[in-house]
Amino acid sequence: MADTLTARNLAKKVIVCLLVLLIAMGLCTLIGTQPISLQKVFAGPGELPGENVDYQILVGVRLPRIILAALVGAALASSGVVLQAILRNPLADPYILGISSGAGLGAIIAVLSGISWKLLGGSPISVFAFVGALGTVWLVWFIGRTAAGSQVTALLLAGVVVNAFFSAVIMFLTSIARSDQVLTTILWLMGNITEKAMSVLWLSAGCIVAGITALFAVSHRLNILTLGEEEAKGLGVNTARTKLVTFSIAAFITAIAVSLSGLIGFVGLIIPHGVRLVLGPDHRQLLPISAIIGGVFLVAADTIARIVVPPAQLPVGVITAIAGGPFFLVLLAKYSRKVSWLR
Amino acid sequence: MNGIIEARNLSFGYSPQAQILDNITFDVQPGAFLSIAGPNGAGKTTLLNLLCGLLTPTAGSVHVDGRAVDSYSARKLAQKIAVVRQEYIPVFDFTVAEVVSMARTPYMAPFGFESRTDRDAVDEALAATDSARFARRPIANLSGGERQRVFIARALAQNTPIMLLDEPTSFLDIKHQAKIYDLLKKTQLEKGKTIVAVTHDINLAAQYCDQIFLLRGGQPTAQNTAGGGQPSDNYYIGKTSEILSVELIEKVFGVKVFAGRIGQERFFLPWGEFSKDKSQDNH
Repeated sequence: MADTLTARNLAKKVIVCLLVLLIAMGLCTLIGTQPISLQKVFAGPGELPGENVDYQILVGVRLPRIILAALVGAALASSGVVLQAILRNPLADPYILGISSGAGLGAIIAVLSGISWKLLGGSPISVFAFVGALGTVWLVWFIGRTAAGSQVTALLLAGVVVNAFFSAVIMFLTSIARSDQVLTTILWLMGNITEKAMSVLWLSAGCIVAGITALFAVSHRLNILTLGEEEAKGLGVNTARTKLVTFSIAAFITAIAVSLSGLIGFVGLIIPHGVRLVLGPDHRQLLPISAIIGGVFLVAADTIARIVVPPAQLPVGVITAIAGGPFFLVLLAKYSRKVSWLR
Repeated sequence: MNGIIEARNLSFGYSPQAQILDNITFDVQPGAFLSIAGPNGAGKTTLLNLLCGLLTPTAGSVHVDGRAVDSYSARKLAQKIAVVRQEYIPVFDFTVAEVVSMARTPYMAPFGFESRTDRDAVDEALAATDSARFARRPIANLSGGERQRVFIARALAQNTPIMLLDEPTSFLDIKHQAKIYDLLKKTQLEKGKTIVAVTHDINLAAQYCDQIFLLRGGQPTAQNTAGGGQPSDNYYIGKTSEILSVELIEKVFGVKVFAGRIGQERFFLPWGEFSKDKSQDNH
């Protein structure tokens, strides 16, 4: 029989990719500017705080950061998969409908206002960015739907226009800000993974994993959505509801990722493409594998960002673009003959 | 009221001034092969979209298998009607097998994967349409005729009592036109499916379809808008052999027509201004 995807076949691939992710995360905890002795780490935290520095660095500093990188990578990559499917556009990414500019605007407002309280362990920048991201996405969705019902072109246009408008506001606010505020904002806009409180981490992990699982549950319908509105209805998909549900989840996990780590570019665009080039476009496979590979990619990129110019740390967004670009071109050259829209 | 599809007083227009379809009533019997024919812009595809519930009529109703079409969930309706639209290339690079497997989505639960039954239905459809040998190829790499067969395979795998097709042969050469209609006829006869195909090729309709719905298009005349449900001169429905005549085709399409006959088969040729033999008796 013509080989289509089976659950067993997919489970094998997912397990292999998860192992790769775990190994990558393990290795990356050992890499850093400060050499670490594993023997000492396994000795435990010790009685007094600060007694076992190696343990402190690995478990208290590097591990949370690596978990965060994996989560953000997974969220951005799976959100990219969903947006490319809903918009039926291979060039779509998680930021295309205004999340980036909305989050950016939220972040700069937080920086300028100088608020210092925390919410659920999140910094004001995180909280404002999260609200800005979701608010903007809702605005774009609302404008797109009011303008043209289910037409995706209107949605894309609304996204582009709102992005441009908010970017202008961000530039205006940046130009009137103090230089230290500008620096904070720019670092945030470049995408930056820093240590977060464990409580924030667990909460985000719960939301992101639940979100990706929910998306996976309807991933067979995402396949159908890529065929277009009429076809999808003919194949029994309630297009309006499926789009709304998948888009809301994708926007939600992207907003979490963005509020945790700023605007890390490229992951949401190239990981889905890379996985699609290698494994094909079936979303039941594309979604979970992209999520895991997105995690691997960002863990690796963040580790490079930590060590490449010690003692300074580069924003991870710089690495994702510099490393991701050529890597993607290699994939493209190798697989493009298989893919029709590239010809 | 015993058709598997029942259209009652169906009207549709994007605005009250531009009515596309007006007061159309007809039944499609189970197991029938009906063609919807008529000139460009007459509203054939619109009518098809009303029948499959994609468009909502401005007046009147469509019943499918005894239930109003808009009372079905998308999923349940997709278990009754399979639609084959004009051949196109998907954005992403699905293989033939993947495209045909999508037909099983209406039968899938969340976290859906193909069951044994689903796989058998897909295999059977690929075999019936003679497309099993290119099952692993990306659908974009196929020729137009092959691609159209794949979309018909998908409709077969959907395992519905009704198949609707929108101009299934419009971009195909005559050999592939014949192959597609042979395949549809076989499906009707062997599986007992009800098939409704939009076409503007009256010769294919004459050859293959038991019944024809000839749509004239344009504004309704005053007499039939007042009539309410009466047969109008806007459309004609009946046995293909009875409906198709030179007079009616000339009236509906607005072009002079030459009719010929080879054995049982009749054919119609347009007779344009530059047609060579002006003296030809028209029959």
